[in-house]
Amino acid sequence: MKVESVHTYIGQHHILQGISFEAVADAVTVLIGRNGAGKSTTIKTVMGLLTATDGRIIYRGQEIQRKKPYEIARMGIGFVPEDMGIFSGLTVEENMKVAMLVEDKTTHERLERTLHMFSALRKFWKSKAGNLSGGQKQMLAIARAIVNDTSLLLIDEPSKGLAPIIVESLLEAINQIKERSVVILVEQNFFMASAVGDNFYILDDGLVVQSGVMEELIHDAELKSRFLGISKTSNSR
Amino acid sequence: MVATFIKRRSRELAVAGTITLFLLPLLGISGKTYITLTIAGLAMGMLLFLVASGVSIIFGLMDVLNFAHGALFAWGAYVGFTVFNIMMKWVVAESVFKNLVVFVFAIFVAMIAVAILGIVLERIIVRRVYGNHLFQILITFGATIVLVELIKVFWGPNDEVMTVPFSFRGNWDVLDVIIDRYRVICITMGFALYAVIQLILKKTKLGIIVRAGVENREMIQAMGHNIFMLFTGVFAVGAGLAALGGLAMSVFSLQVYPDMGSTYLLFAFIVVIIGGLGSVTGSLVGAIIVGLSYNYVAYLVPWAAAGANVMIMIIILLVRPAGLFPAGE
Amino acid sequence: MAELTAVQLFHQEEKRRRFRRGGFFIRLGVLCILLLVPFVLPSYKTVDLAVKIMIFATLVASFDIMLGYTGILSFGHGMFFGIGAYCVVFLISKYGAPTYLNLMLGMATAAAVAAGVAILVSFLSLRVKTIFFAMVTLAIAELAIILATKLSVFTGGEDGISLAMPGIFSFAYSAGKFLGVEITGKIITYYLILLSCLGMFMMMLRFTNSPLGRVLQAIRDNEQRAEALGFKTFVFQGISITFGCVMAAISGGFYAMWVGYVNPESCLGVFAIMLAVLLMCIIGGMGTLYGGIVGAAFYLITETFLPDLQHLAKDLFPSAVFLHNVMERWYLFLGVLFILVIIFFPKGVIGSVQDYTARRKAARSS
Repeated sequence: MKVESVHTYIGQHHILQGISFEAVADAVTVLIGRNGAGKSTTIKTVMGLLTATDGRIIYRGQEIQRKKPYEIARMGIGFVPEDMGIFSGLTVEENMKVAMLVEDKTTHERLERTLHMFSALRKFWKSKAGNLSGGQKQMLAIARAIVNDTSLLLIDEPSKGLAPIIVESLLEAINQIKERSVVILVEQNFFMASAVGDNFYILDDGLVVQSGVMEELIHDAELKSRFLGISKTSNSR
Repeated sequence: MVATFIKRRSRELAVAGTITLFLLPLLGISGKTYITLTIAGLAMGMLLFLVASGVSIIFGLMDVLNFAHGALFAWGAYVGFTVFNIMMKWVVAESVFKNLVVFVFAIFVAMIAVAILGIVLERIIVRRVYGNHLFQILITFGATIVLVELIKVFWGPNDEVMTVPFSFRGNWDVLDVIIDRYRVICITMGFALYAVIQLILKKTKLGIIVRAGVENREMIQAMGHNIFMLFTGVFAVGAGLAALGGLAMSVFSLQVYPDMGSTYLLFAFIVVIIGGLGSVTGSLVGAIIVGLSYNYVAYLVPWAAAGANVMIMIIILLVRPAGLFPAGE
Repeated sequence: MAELTAVQLFHQEEKRRRFRRGGFFIRLGVLCILLLVPFVLPSYKTVDLAVKIMIFATLVASFDIMLGYTGILSFGHGMFFGIGAYCVVFLISKYGAPTYLNLMLGMATAAAVAAGVAILVSFLSLRVKTIFFAMVTLAIAELAIILATKLSVFTGGEDGISLAMPGIFSFAYSAGKFLGVEITGKIITYYLILLSCLGMFMMMLRFTNSPLGRVLQAIRDNEQRAEALGFKTFVFQGISITFGCVMAAISGGFYAMWVGYVNPESCLGVFAIMLAVLLMCIIGGMGTLYGGIVGAAFYLITETFLPDLQHLAKDLFPSAVFLHNVMERWYLFLGVLFILVIIFFPKGVIGSVQDYTARRKAARSS
């Protein structure tokens, strides 16, 4: 997945002012930055929910910036939004059903593996999704996104509002997932980002200001304080 | 303290209040009249449900307020009227079989014709105003004008008499209570349709997708479903339901006239406000409330009948603006 | 004296150039035409047409204040028009006598009742979203018609009530000839209505060009932002609705005076009045008070001269029955035009013209 000089407007506001980044297989690419830097907007633009006025988005050799969201989803791109996008009135089972684009043997096998990874979902299979806890909802959101033949997974701030213990189990899940798909993760929480991330891009005011390997960033206190607001004296990893 | 109690239990209170309200007339009228009125009210409610459910779902899924629904209702009645005229022999025949066949055939033709009309409407007109409520109202209002005028062009501007199929006429005498045959048919049709709709919504994949889409339109697209086809489809179904309602109503009131859509559209809106936008169950309950109250009040205080419904609508708007069964609850 | 800010300088320039711009001459021209109609085209048909245009232009402008400037769609405008008509009739005819005093009282009552109902309606319905507001006003308007028809003891039911005007306005009065035309009470009433409508229109212009009017436009464009800026949108919307409805009622009063007869169908009817107002407003141009004049003129002129057009068509193509059917349904064309205007020219005639001139000005200055 390659994003080249993408500009996106929300209403009259020029949010993305020429974003460029790349995501490769077998690695988790993290987009980090402060509130309002444009991270969610970037993800939504890739997904087609927002339209890029300029620039290109290339996936597997194809330009997808003009495609509709459902076309993009069918190309094997899964999306986990910031608010999880759970259908509260539907049961867990129904949520998964909506997610499954084809109902063949391979998809059912994937479903089994996913439920194996997130056992809580099996327990609440027939309950309304609105009754799940925050962490369980997040698991459902991720499960929905990977039950198809997903080769690219876009996750927007999965750790938001969740207890640290839950975040740990999410980390495990993402580490398992990245073996099979490209993952682009948006995070504000540096702990989460550094735990799963391999490559990073720091976003600020709609532009990429820094990029590199996660290992380096962890030890670069200067960068962390300037763009992420992490105080130089804290020892958060 | 009382305020929070009312708010939290508002739905239960509303239901309890309504049931009490509907039992009140028993104090003033004989049991037998009460039953006749109740059946009349339920029948009217069912017909309103057919129109209202379409508006409700279309709004719930597409966030589009379709003011043209009344015109579609009228078109359904007129198409049915033409089918009846062509097959008049079977309409007046004294055979239940023939009557049923004609009726079902008319319904079929009307629903398909109006569904097609609905698709055309959605593609050409409604699509341009997604997201802008004001223009939706204006443009669908304009569409209503055009559709009603077209009725006048094709069928003439006068009222026409609608022939009731032979075996639907008259009433049954059950334990000294007069029960109108056609009204019972309407009630059965209504409940049957409600059951079918609920079945489709709950058990089929399409139904699940529609329900999910009503909750979160953006997400359903991001999960790979072509929402535009969904919209057109739902709009067509809503139109078909309106057509069915129109046809049934025309047999009920024995007439078709070009403006019949507007009166019932108003009732449909009241039903939808009371029942909650986006909910089929809400439309059913709201429709029954409107139908029953209209008939009871019409019997007791004739000039206040329409006013009573508006009153209920206003009360609901003040106490529970989202309606009795808003989608997503 | 302190230096003027840039905005103030701009306004001063505008004011100075106001009397030399093209638009001003057009407006003056229209006014002159209206002043001279009874003398130049004295037939009943044209005078009647001119009065109706004036009254409806004012009515549509009052509707535009709500729709175009504040962004509120109310289907109840016809009801307020009818309230005005009925109030005047009650005081001059049914419950009073035709005197000048009663005429003024009638107008005052119309304004008061309209204000009261408007405040009530806004209080009830402004707490809900656009769509609900439209539906509720529709329901209330329909209810009003039913009440007017059913409570025939007060309102004369479907038959309506007729009235006679007092003194020099009475249709039998004659003040002799002037410039070859007989000055009847009707002509005097014509000028009364002309002056009043002019006054009302100018009041509305003042209203929309004031700081209050600008706040309303802000609310129309982005209600939440206006709220965030500290304006109690609820109060402003209520003011806009009340003002618009009072103007509507007064127009209704004048309508009753001219036509001499009121009944639920013609005065309150959704189909008679409300529909026409909506069509005129959109075609003429939302958010521009002058759109009302264009829309009203277009609609009423077409309506008045259509039968002549139909006769012409019949003479030219005597056997095209379908054509005749379609011609009879002129509302069909109006409806199609309405839809086309919304899709392609959402700003209506005047709005598009304003856009065009603004673009030319910008092009010239850049």
